[in-house]
Amino acid sequence: MKSNLLTLKINRFNEEKDPPQWIETFQVEIRRGMNVLEALLSIQDEQDGTLAFRYSCRGAVCGSCAMRVNGKDVLACRTHVEDLLEKTALIEPLRLFPVIRDLIVDMSTFFNHYRKIEPYLKGKPVSSQVEYLMEEENRKEIDVYVNCILCGICFGTCPAFEKNSEFLGPAMLAKAYRFFVDPRDRRNEEILEAVNRQQGVWGCKTVFNCVKVCPKQVPPTHAIAKMRGKILRYKVAHLFSQFSSLFPSSS
Amino acid sequence: MKRLHRQEARLPIAINDRILKLRSLIPPGRDSAGSTLHHYYNTVSKGGGIFRGDMELLAHDILIIGGGLAGLRAAIEAKKSGRDVAILSKVHPLRSHSVAAQGGINAALGNAPTPTKDTWENHAFDTIKGSDYLADQDAVEIMCREAMERVIEMEHWGTLFSRTEDGKIAQRPFGGAGFPRACYAADRTGHNLLHTLYEQVIGLQIPVYEEWYALSLVVGDGRCAGVLGLDFFEGRIILIRAKAVVLATGGYGRIYLRSTNAVINTGSGCFLAYQAGVPLEDMEFVQFHPTSLFGTNILITEGARGEGGYLINANGERFMERYAPHLMELGPRDIVARGTQTEIDQGRGFEGGYVHLDLRHLGREKIMDRLPGIRQIATDFAGVDPISQPIPIQPAQHYSMGGIPTNADGETPLPGVFAAGECACVSVHGANRLGGNSLLETLVFGERAGRKAAEQAGKEKKIPDKTIFQERLRVFQAGLEEIFGRKGEEPSFLIRDEIKTLMTSQAGIFRGESALLGARDKIQELKKRFLKTGLKQKSLAFNSEFIQYWELEGMLHLAEAIVEGALARKESRGSHFRVDYPTRDDKHWLCHTLAFKTAEGVKLDYKKVSITSYPPKERSY
Repeated sequence: MKSNLLTLKINRFNEEKDPPQWIETFQVEIRRGMNVLEALLSIQDEQDGTLAFRYSCRGAVCGSCAMRVNGKDVLACRTHVEDLLEKTALIEPLRLFPVIRDLIVDMSTFFNHYRKIEPYLKGKPVSSQVEYLMEEENRKEIDVYVNCILCGICFGTCPAFEKNSEFLGPAMLAKAYRFFVDPRDRRNEEILEAVNRQQGVWGCKTVFNCVKVCPKQVPPTHAIAKMRGKILRYKVAHLFSQFSSLFPSSS
Repeated sequence: MKRLHRQEARLPIAINDRILKLRSLIPPGRDSAGSTLHHYYNTVSKGGGIFRGDMELLAHDILIIGGGLAGLRAAIEAKKSGRDVAILSKVHPLRSHSVAAQGGINAALGNAPTPTKDTWENHAFDTIKGSDYLADQDAVEIMCREAMERVIEMEHWGTLFSRTEDGKIAQRPFGGAGFPRACYAADRTGHNLLHTLYEQVIGLQIPVYEEWYALSLVVGDGRCAGVLGLDFFEGRIILIRAKAVVLATGGYGRIYLRSTNAVINTGSGCFLAYQAGVPLEDMEFVQFHPTSLFGTNILITEGARGEGGYLINANGERFMERYAPHLMELGPRDIVARGTQTEIDQGRGFEGGYVHLDLRHLGREKIMDRLPGIRQIATDFAGVDPISQPIPIQPAQHYSMGGIPTNADGETPLPGVFAAGECACVSVHGANRLGGNSLLETLVFGERAGRKAAEQAGKEKKIPDKTIFQERLRVFQAGLEEIFGRKGEEPSFLIRDEIKTLMTSQAGIFRGESALLGARDKIQELKKRFLKTGLKQKSLAFNSEFIQYWELEGMLHLAEAIVEGALARKESRGSHFRVDYPTRDDKHWLCHTLAFKTAEGVKLDYKKVSITSYPPKERSY
């Protein structure tokens, strides 16, 4: 029979301590429908106020509480404790980011990469009085990528980012694609140029880890594959236009 | 508790005069002088006690506290005016509660096919009627007039609104609205708007002090000179000088046990102002949303009913027939929330205290297309797929109509302090906010506050003396040493849990004198116990226990203001429903409440509602 006590082993970190890293076990009495974030909050209240982790919305929309639970990268708030009662659950910070304290990681590389792709619409000129007209079909194509909450989970499981922290990473390449397919943005070629590098779309190892772990069903690898295809097509078209200019049409 | 005579206070004064009148209530501070203001990092004097280093002082023209929609919109506008702007936020801006808004943002674009075209005047009328005539009509008119421009601007900046067949921004029906007016991005409108604004902030290279707290305003010479901030990771106290401070810190929903709000919504910005002598307006008007997910109280958007969802009790009845026979499920929130709670209270709910929101008849395609986020929330958090099962819902606290009083330019009674968004009370929502108007308020009044703050900062030549900051730091240090020195008989989280339970049970959807009197006594007891709580950690870095303690003080004071306002207001209006005074009383209570923090407790005053072209009428739906 399952007990109503949840045992969590938490990977702690505090650089001012010696050793700075240790594993600490906590037991939490669970309530029906409880999630990992609530379990952590109750530990912080009742057992150890020094336990550090991020949280905000508790409804899986803000992207604060990304962490690793039993080796899986998840949002703590949408991870039910009922599924963790069989054995002790291991809670760790996201991989591949420097740890600041306990479950809080340094996401500055993540947001630096975000800045690099210039993640803001550079619109085509339009009257300030009316909206751009857009087909619903167009919107749906972009919407899949707009749903990204920038939680960082995809970076934590990305082998290309693990190998090279300069790799723009799944969320940012998905974001670049979001602007690329947006008919309102005037930067088509500019965006392709920005990602046409080993640190961009060519660095991806197409193992689909990011697609599998994304809590919002964003498929970055699909965006990457599509941009690769576009880049190749541009190159072919460019070659073709150079080639045909050598032989002007006789007609 | 002594309170001013209501009749005396209700003077016919325009908004600007009102601001001037309130300003005179702020005690005069110290003289100021100083050097030129520019962005610098400076050490001024030795700190003492637990502070190892010197006093650190940063400076900006404009400092925005809060990184949600109102804060970001204000920052963008101020930056575009050429000012040096920075944002300080206790969470990364994208983690702000604005991200959780679902259903839509109102603007009378008239994109949906209707027999007559929607106008901003219709929008204003619906808003004023929805407010139960407590909204300031001049401010409502400004909001509704500027709505179209703000929404189109967001679209141009990249917000991915859902579309009509002819490619325009799609609009859905919302509660209390005569037209389909809520522009939406599926059911993730807040997420879409917030990401768009953050993208603009990145483009404009506006600096953000992320995961910093503003612990108090620094006031001297009768005006705000900056804030005392805490860098949470470093544990450093840093003073930030600013010619204008814009508070955009969101609501105080987490004073309630059952709330749709993010865990971080503790009302800390309202308390910053209250602490500095600014009164809080209309605090007793707290919105309860009819449809929060049973168990976690995560919001299930009004858009679900806008798309055609039914509310069904345990007898299988569409019970809104009893409460809003014409608008049914699309009645305004106060009425639908009371109807829902009444069904539950009278035994027509399901065991545990909930009713059903049934979307099954909408069909899979519509749910997947228009309400994908709701489906995900219901699946993730209740194990219910709305395509095949009804969603269990119950009412929960949702929105704070009250807050820091401002005029339509975000100016507060304290010079140098502006406020915008949910923490402010302009008042455009009066006694009950309509769905789709909160996102709109953040953009319209965020923009206006940012613009005005930039203008004021441009004029402000006087540089406050450093001693004001030194004095603020000294007082803070002394307070902190006292707190850290306590033995600590009780942890503060117990008091937090008690105040939340108290507010939900005794100052909730239905209020009565004896429950409110009980709440008053209980709050006094909790305030006494609060002063004896202790902290285990005696440093500031990563000290969430300290933050909890510090925010709890504010929560207790805001709760007190809510309860006192509710006790005094012997009528029912919008979200404030007194079981012992169940009707609206315009003769005595068509006025805004102002709660002042004094040494003797809350002191209440009242001010006139601005009425332009919509005289109060009976409100039926």
